[in-house]
Amino acid sequence: MTGKKKGKLTKVLDYLKYEDPFSKGVAFCPGCGLELLVRFIPQVLGNDIVITGTPSCSAPVLLGQNNQSWHTLSYFGTLMTGAAANATGLARYYRKAGIKNTVVCFNGDGTAADIGFGNLSGAAERNEPFIYICYDNEGYMNTGIQKSGTTPYGASTTTTPFGSASKGKNLRRMNLALKMAMHKIPYTATATLSDLGDLAKKLLKAKEAKERGFAFLHVLAPCTTGWGYAPENTIEVCRRAVKTNYFPLWEATNGKIRMTKIVKKPKPVSTYTELIKKFAHLNEADLQILQDDVDYEYCMLGGLSVLEAECQLPASLED
Amino acid sequence: MNTKINAKANSQIKVITGNAAAAIAAKLARPDVVAAYPITPQTEIIEQISKFHANGEMDCELITVEGENSAMNAVMAASLAGGRVFTATSSWGLVFMYDAVLATAGARAPVVMVNVNRETPGIIAVSSGQQDMISTRDSGWIFLIAENCQEVLDLVLQAYRLAEDYDIQVPVMVHYDGFYLSYLSEVVDVPFQEEVDRFLAVLKDQPERTKLVPGGKLGCGSHGILGGYLELRHKHVSAMERSKAKFEQIDKEYQEIFGRSYGGQVEAYRMDDADVVLVGSGSMCGTIKTVIDAKREEGVKVGLLKMRMYRPFPGEAMVKALKGKKAIGVVDRSLCFGFKGGPIYTELKAFETQLEGSKMVSFIDGIANTDITTANVETMIDTTCGLAAGKEVREVTWICYPEAQESDAEKMGGR
Amino acid sequence: MSDVRFHGRGGQGVVTTSKILANAFARTGQFGASFPMFGFERRGAPVTAFGRFSDKPVREKTQIYTPEILVVLDPSQRNSEAVFQGLVPGGMLLLNDSDNTINVSHENLKKLGIIDANKIALEEIGLPIPNTVIVGAFAKMSGLLEIDPCCDALQDYFSGKKLSANIVCVKRGFEEVELFDL
Repeated sequence: MTGKKKGKLTKVLDYLKYEDPFSKGVAFCPGCGLELLVRFIPQVLGNDIVITGTPSCSAPVLLGQNNQSWHTLSYFGTLMTGAAANATGLARYYRKAGIKNTVVCFNGDGTAADIGFGNLSGAAERNEPFIYICYDNEGYMNTGIQKSGTTPYGASTTTTPFGSASKGKNLRRMNLALKMAMHKIPYTATATLSDLGDLAKKLLKAKEAKERGFAFLHVLAPCTTGWGYAPENTIEVCRRAVKTNYFPLWEATNGKIRMTKIVKKPKPVSTYTELIKKFAHLNEADLQILQDDVDYEYCMLGGLSVLEAECQLPASLED
Repeated sequence: MNTKINAKANSQIKVITGNAAAAIAAKLARPDVVAAYPITPQTEIIEQISKFHANGEMDCELITVEGENSAMNAVMAASLAGGRVFTATSSWGLVFMYDAVLATAGARAPVVMVNVNRETPGIIAVSSGQQDMISTRDSGWIFLIAENCQEVLDLVLQAYRLAEDYDIQVPVMVHYDGFYLSYLSEVVDVPFQEEVDRFLAVLKDQPERTKLVPGGKLGCGSHGILGGYLELRHKHVSAMERSKAKFEQIDKEYQEIFGRSYGGQVEAYRMDDADVVLVGSGSMCGTIKTVIDAKREEGVKVGLLKMRMYRPFPGEAMVKALKGKKAIGVVDRSLCFGFKGGPIYTELKAFETQLEGSKMVSFIDGIANTDITTANVETMIDTTCGLAAGKEVREVTWICYPEAQESDAEKMGGR
Repeated sequence: MSDVRFHGRGGQGVVTTSKILANAFARTGQFGASFPMFGFERRGAPVTAFGRFSDKPVREKTQIYTPEILVVLDPSQRNSEAVFQGLVPGGMLLLNDSDNTINVSHENLKKLGIIDANKIALEEIGLPIPNTVIVGAFAKMSGLLEIDPCCDALQDYFSGKKLSANIVCVKRGFEEVELFDL
């Protein structure tokens, strides 16, 4: 008789080969998606990563205070404006000096999609040898829930508040991960916290791809405070984001897209938004606009993955 | 017959531009990481370096960044990881990277950067002036200024010696005039690699500075607050103060190896018996020296105090040289918004009480590509002589824009 | 010290002319300092360069307002006011022109050199870039340089076939410039 069958969670635990380098009781909100992610990464990739972070929700924990810190990782506190350029400098010097390394440039969506996008794109264009991880909580949370480029249509934030003359953000979110895939970097992927095994696999693929150049991970990391949902629902929110195709899970190798999870019967996006207060003001017509956006993006993504499957990647681009 | 340009034992004479001199000095310093982004009038520097790199003459990581902000961020990080670095910029590029410039100084990363001076006003300008240097003087960097192409090369090498000195560890910016020096082809004595290695070898004998390494359990760029931050700031301020004496020492070390000395923080030209002095910096000093020689023939006792180190401000050295002089004309190639007089004038004025009676006036010249001509310098000397003789003289004269002088009520009057 | 002002248009090699001459002077143990002033960089736009050549180190970093020698690479500029501005009495002018009739005049102009540098350049290097021809012509007219340092200076700017072709240009400029006392 064989041993107990391994559950999904035990499989995930197999990926956690290293210690959690963070101390207990750090300054994240209860239920913070970012906390789960930032503790997860070094447990999968190792405690010898060099992690960079910017002023953000991660800063009070990732960056030390004066000469004290909440973790034992080698870290570099950078400005949002040049985060990818800072990571570039580290990775390039280590390469020059022959120092084995995994530089992880760890930033929120405000840095990745907005103020730091220029140098992120530049680093990807130059195929710099490090991993860039964007934790996307769809806004500038640390400064009080302002809108960013990845905030979705209809979301109420402090700079796109719902009011008598406004239905929240009236612009569609940009697809950051797809933009990065179009740089044709060795590895691009989306991941989230309800599919930790998938996240772990993608972290490891990113680490391997880094030997050939730039790797980008876009992780949906919900914010209980900023989005307005019960802290214990963080994982469920992620699960529904995937099940509605609001946040599809895919990866791209040198720009060639492949879905890593295909949701056979996607649920309506309202099953996702009903959990989250920032959408609570939307009526049926508004929600339909969000649904249409989700559908269109998925169609385009799906189409790209099929189309790219039909296109032969030139031999010179394979490595 | 093949005419060689004056072959020497440990160097060679070349006719090169200021920009080429900077690029060659950077190459000789053997940087590990160089970030390159073009901006007039610096572009030749990074083109030269790119050529060296492409021909295998420079063993470095060359990052052709997408903007100056990234250039400073990249070299700052590489420096904190332990590397020797180089980049160059000018005016708008300098202010586009300013957040990283501040962060670099705060992190005490020993970065060396060349800034080719160019106007940085409220409108687009591609012209000479030192406004970019003035716009960033509080960055916490050490600022050095070159007078000619030879000094450009020498200062870049000295910048590494200074920035990476264990007792200093403050980033250094080498400034020189765009257009008038960047594109000027002059005779330059270019040292051989072995001599430069010898000059910088002392840096290897020092204790190793702290570096960000994988698994090193060390962070930088933490959140500074209260006592911890104050400690950092005080150390930074103190290090800048120490760099004055260090720069004097380095001048002597340089003289020993390369045979050239510039006098350290300041250069005093025909100052000993001078009654009247012009204070200046950068390329204007060459012109001023020529006019001084001519004036001396006429019996005018005039000298030049050339400011080579601008930050930290060499107050003590300047007071020592200027004390007791009858009148001082400070030449600014920039403006100080909100103050009467140019920026260097206002800074020197803070030392007025220590000068024991010297009178001071401010000259604004050479901004927005205007030329500091020999005629302009003569006017400055004559005006300052008038001041020494007790004549009524304006406190601030825009030599380059005489039409815009202030009303008579603003004149200083004989004091 | 000789104060020389060079005039031409973008693409004619005005700046390189002044650099090569500074280089040539350095090869004789003397000093040269030259730099350009231009507006927008593009072919056809007026370019001015300044050269100071001396047996002592050159310290001035200003433009040249009272030139002793003028070098004009573009024939269309031959009678331009800007060109003659400040020319000192007894001044010289070297003109690149296919027309060798004397149709320039100025009260301070005492010596004129004319050379069809474009033609020679086309013959030797296949391009109408007159600068190296002008270098040779300048040496002859001014009497400040022998031919050898001028040819040697080219090594820092050209190599291979281009170098030998441009050396021919310098030599022909030296030999073929027509000099007139006015």
